[in-house]
Amino acid sequence: MIFKFVENIGASTIRSLSSLTEALKFTSVCLIHMVNPLSYNPAMRMVLVKQIYFTAVTVIPLFLMMAFLFGSVIIGAVIALATEYSLQESIGSIIITFVVDEFSPFFTALLISLRSGTAVNTEIAVMNVNEELNTLKEYKIDLINYLFLPRIISGIISVTSLSILFALIMLSSGYIFTLFYMNMDLHTYKQLLMSAIEVSDIVILLLKSVAFGFVIMLIPIYSGLKTANSYTAIPISVLNGMVKLFVALFFIEVLSLILQLL
Amino acid sequence: MLENIALIKEVHEHLPTIKAQKIAKEMLEKIHQEHISLYRVSACTPVEIFYIQFIRALMMKEKKIIIVTPFSLIENLRDINVIIKNITILGSEKEILLLDMLSNENHYEGSQCSIVK
Repeated sequence: MIFKFVENIGASTIRSLSSLTEALKFTSVCLIHMVNPLSYNPAMRMVLVKQIYFTAVTVIPLFLMMAFLFGSVIIGAVIALATEYSLQESIGSIIITFVVDEFSPFFTALLISLRSGTAVNTEIAVMNVNEELNTLKEYKIDLINYLFLPRIISGIISVTSLSILFALIMLSSGYIFTLFYMNMDLHTYKQLLMSAIEVSDIVILLLKSVAFGFVIMLIPIYSGLKTANSYTAIPISVLNGMVKLFVALFFIEVLSLILQLL
Repeated sequence: MLENIALIKEVHEHLPTIKAQKIAKEMLEKIHQEHISLYRVSACTPVEIFYIQFIRALMMKEKKIIIVTPFSLIENLRDINVIIKNITILGSEKEILLLDMLSNENHYEGSQCSIVK
């Protein structure tokens, strides 16, 4: 009984470690391809442009609306709380830290995961089950260069640019609340934010967005590749991929908070 | 389908997309299949899919193309001569082999290709 229990723990540990090693190997191969100029052939560039369009451009109307709504309401709540606890002097840095460092990259990452992460996971899983990946291999087409790299790069570009856009719109729409709640004019609001923002805030936003964008595409791709050879395995693959992706997003978020605290 | 065919030259020869798609379109025009240029695979008939696969194979550097059991490869294929004619029209320096079973021998009667048993 005890032996069986220990054996099961050992087996699952070995399984987890070997799948982690395999995932890390896949990540490093993708990174090597990313820095190799030969990976960027015309077909890859075409896929990259399309991926950026589908990931970042088509989502803009919904994204703008959400940024505007969240911006006015959440910044309003932050200002109201800061006023309640007599923290008016720190309102600028509170808003910047909350919007630029934390909320914008994380919210953008969640939205892109739900929208594009699931799509990419399903797409790769379907291609895998339909043997399309094998067909591409038969034609000596490098799957990493043609399929995976454009998606990963588009993830990085899309999450980074949308995070910046989200932060800008959130901060702009926050002015509406300050205007009505605090009777603050635009110049004062602008000064408040400008004096609070630091280079480190921009660096955090960029680094987090890049990390989020990378895993948002890498994990669904990897999960799609690991799909068993049947259509019923596709939803399981998407489910597993999304759970792993959310764990990775929270891990990056927690890691960035710990690094900021140090 | 144009993108599908052009992909081979874009990847293997780093040919710009416009040039590769022009070549692909010329190939489809040669066999009067240009109407499938903008189709997705689900909209193509089995014969059209075969032509796409064949043109893609022509784009590769390999000297030999082997078509195995065309009658099971192309659903509802009745006349192999139409396929052989289009293969000839597409013209290539490559050696093209059709491998089939003896039971299908009668389908090849009167065809231009040389039969080896």
